[in-house]
Amino acid sequence: MTDEGKKISSPKGEVLVIAEQILGELQPVTLELLGAGRYLSDKLGSQLTCLVMGHNLAEITEKLVSYGADAVYVADHPDLTCYRTLTYRRVVVDLLDSLAIPPHICLLGSTTTGRDLAPRIAAHFETGLTADCTELDVGPYEHKSKVDPSKVGIYEECLYAIRPSFGESLKARILGPWKNPQMATTRPGQMTPLKPDSNRQAKIIPVQVSIKPEDNRLIVAETLREVGKGIKLQEADVIVAGGYGLGSADGFQLMNQLAACFPNSAVGSSRKVVDLGWIPYEHQVGQTGKTVRPKVYIACGISGAIQHRVGMSKSSLIIAINKDVDAPIFKFAHHGIVGDIFQIVPEMIRQLESVKSDKEVQTVVSTH
Amino acid sequence: MPAPYEIFVLVKQVPDQGSKAGLNPDGTIDRAKAKRMLNPFDRYALQAALHTKKCYGGRVTAISMGPPPAVEILMEALEHGVDRGVLLSDRRLAASDTLATAYALFKTVTWVGRFDLIFCGLQTTDGDTAQVGPQLAERLGLPQITYCQDFKVEDDKVHAERIIEGGYQKLISELPVLITVANSYHPLDYKSFRGAWRVQQLLRNQEEQKKYIQTVDLDLVGADPERCGLKGSPTIVAATEKVGEIGGNCSMHEGHSPTDLVSEVLDASKLKEFLTV
Ligand SMILES: Cc1cc2nc3c(=O)[nH]c(=O)nc-3n(C[C@H](O)[C@H](O)[C@H](O)COP(=O)(O)OP(=O)(O)OC[C@H]3O[C@@H](n4cnc5c(N)ncnc54)[C@H](O)[C@@H]3O)c2cc1C
Ligand SMILES: Nc1ncnc2c1ncn2[C@@H]1O[C@H](COP(=O)(O)O)[C@@H](O)[C@H]1O
Repeated sequence: MTDEGKKISSPKGEVLVIAEQILGELQPVTLELLGAGRYLSDKLGSQLTCLVMGHNLAEITEKLVSYGADAVYVADHPDLTCYRTLTYRRVVVDLLDSLAIPPHICLLGSTTTGRDLAPRIAAHFETGLTADCTELDVGPYEHKSKVDPSKVGIYEECLYAIRPSFGESLKARILGPWKNPQMATTRPGQMTPLKPDSNRQAKIIPVQVSIKPEDNRLIVAETLREVGKGIKLQEADVIVAGGYGLGSADGFQLMNQLAACFPNSAVGSSRKVVDLGWIPYEHQVGQTGKTVRPKVYIACGISGAIQHRVGMSKSSLIIAINKDVDAPIFKFAHHGIVGDIFQIVPEMIRQLESVKSDKEVQTVVSTH
Repeated sequence: MPAPYEIFVLVKQVPDQGSKAGLNPDGTIDRAKAKRMLNPFDRYALQAALHTKKCYGGRVTAISMGPPPAVEILMEALEHGVDRGVLLSDRRLAASDTLATAYALFKTVTWVGRFDLIFCGLQTTDGDTAQVGPQLAERLGLPQITYCQDFKVEDDKVHAERIIEGGYQKLISELPVLITVANSYHPLDYKSFRGAWRVQQLLRNQEEQKKYIQTVDLDLVGADPERCGLKGSPTIVAATEKVGEIGGNCSMHEGHSPTDLVSEVLDASKLKEFLTV
């Protein structure tokens, strides 16, 4: 006898979001995850919970509540001040062990922290984990393959973890309904946070922290970080981005000039030039910078490394200027100009300016 | 655990996505037809392993899991100066997800023996999860340093710099440790003359080759086949959907004067429409 058609549903575990803070600053991806988590938990009819780890967390906890968590687990301890793989792992493992039923779903950000921690948790509990998702949902799934008869059946409420694969040219829906928590990390900038509401109420649950000596085999000596919030990169219609090809910090003057041709524009950059100190971090686009989706993205002297691409590949129109015809950016730009920035960009500015002044003349004429 | 160190580096053979060979119309890859290559991210891990040996002394073992042709990348690692290679190859590993892969590699690593440092690539270009390293570290009960872009070893401790959002973290870890190496670490040096010569010798002599590259299976390393392959994998790919070609649809503009190039692109891209709100 086979189990075909057998309906399998698990007890309603919570949807757990693992919050992320760096130097006491709550990371935006956590709020995005709460937005996605709210949607999933409403659909499942379960609770949305959030675990935050760190020290002096009162303010962050409040924020998590206003962004939609039904309950917040707070692990507040001086040893948790900054993220360390082994200490944070210990707290998460202990918390999950203490729950009567495991969470249905457990979500983390697809950040350098989330991608460090999530695989450890998944391996410890021998459960499925999908990295770097861009969409999440829950729904039914019928498993028919008889390779493993114990897996056959209709699963009512599985996590659909949807992620790009094969260099972003495919979208794959990945499932792991056999064991809870079903885990995923999601890419920053992809999910929408709820509107914060200070009237929201939640249960605050302090978490016992018991770090073992072997967790201190790894210590953090220093965290060096520059944060900027000045420029409106994510709201710009046109982004002119400069990379290592600019040769020096001075090259950004040219980027500013090109950006100035467009209304509602901003200057972006690769990480390499931020690391070199040519431009502040707030301009950085990519995996460890901002995710942007402008109408136009003009990449100048940027090679198009995967970590840059994930931050800008959704731009409606990508124009790349690079002197190397084999630069990876030409694999996904819409228009590629093979040439030297210092020849192409000034010429571009000249031609755009002349179109603009023509237009101005026309408008002046027509208003008379 | 004084130097010289036992250094392991994990490398994977992946389909060459730069070549169109083996690319199915739906965008998936026919692995049998595709050209194969060393996962580009693993080149940095190799460099880190060889650098560690050069600075502090020791032996480098490259370990891979994959079908028999993966022996090619172990040869390549030998050409770069790795001392020996171990390939875990077994039909029962087919369709392993990251958890099953990490389990099989865990069994292989412990079978190979004592180690001080394990280096992994940041991610693979086919799996693209960056999960196997940390999952292996969990199985081995090791501290880990991911996104590592620089490190030194001092008094049997690793001092490392790790990339984070908007900056870096300086970490200190005891040995043994697992490190995933960022692609902002130093690129892999050219093949060594000695290494290349040695591989030439090995290619001619099967018996000699076996001394340097060992192929093992699940039974030998003591891995439970139930925990490998499709059975041991908690995730499956339920559906894939094509989302627009990456590669090949960029219209290239080259070979003219800057003036012509720019006017060509301004016309073709309709960039002028964005000059006014
Ligand atoms: C964990 C991690 C996170 C990362 N996060 C990010 C991130 O968020 N954002 C990011 O951008 N990177 C990130 N990186 C770094 C990324 O891998 C690349 O190193 C970086 O994007 C490269 O920057 P670039 O393109 O400016 O430099 P390069 O790769 O050096 O490219 C410079 C390009 O300029 C071209 N060029 C040179 N001179 C000229 C000229 N005169 N005219 C025209 N073209 C010219 C060259 O042909 C070359 O293609 C991250 C890396 C890691 C490991
Ligand atoms: N089949 C494999 N054999 C050896 N090493 C692997 C294998 N799969 C993954 N790895 C290692 O784990 C890293 C991350 O892989 P992934 O999690 O697939 O992105 C790779 O860069 C390799 O160092």
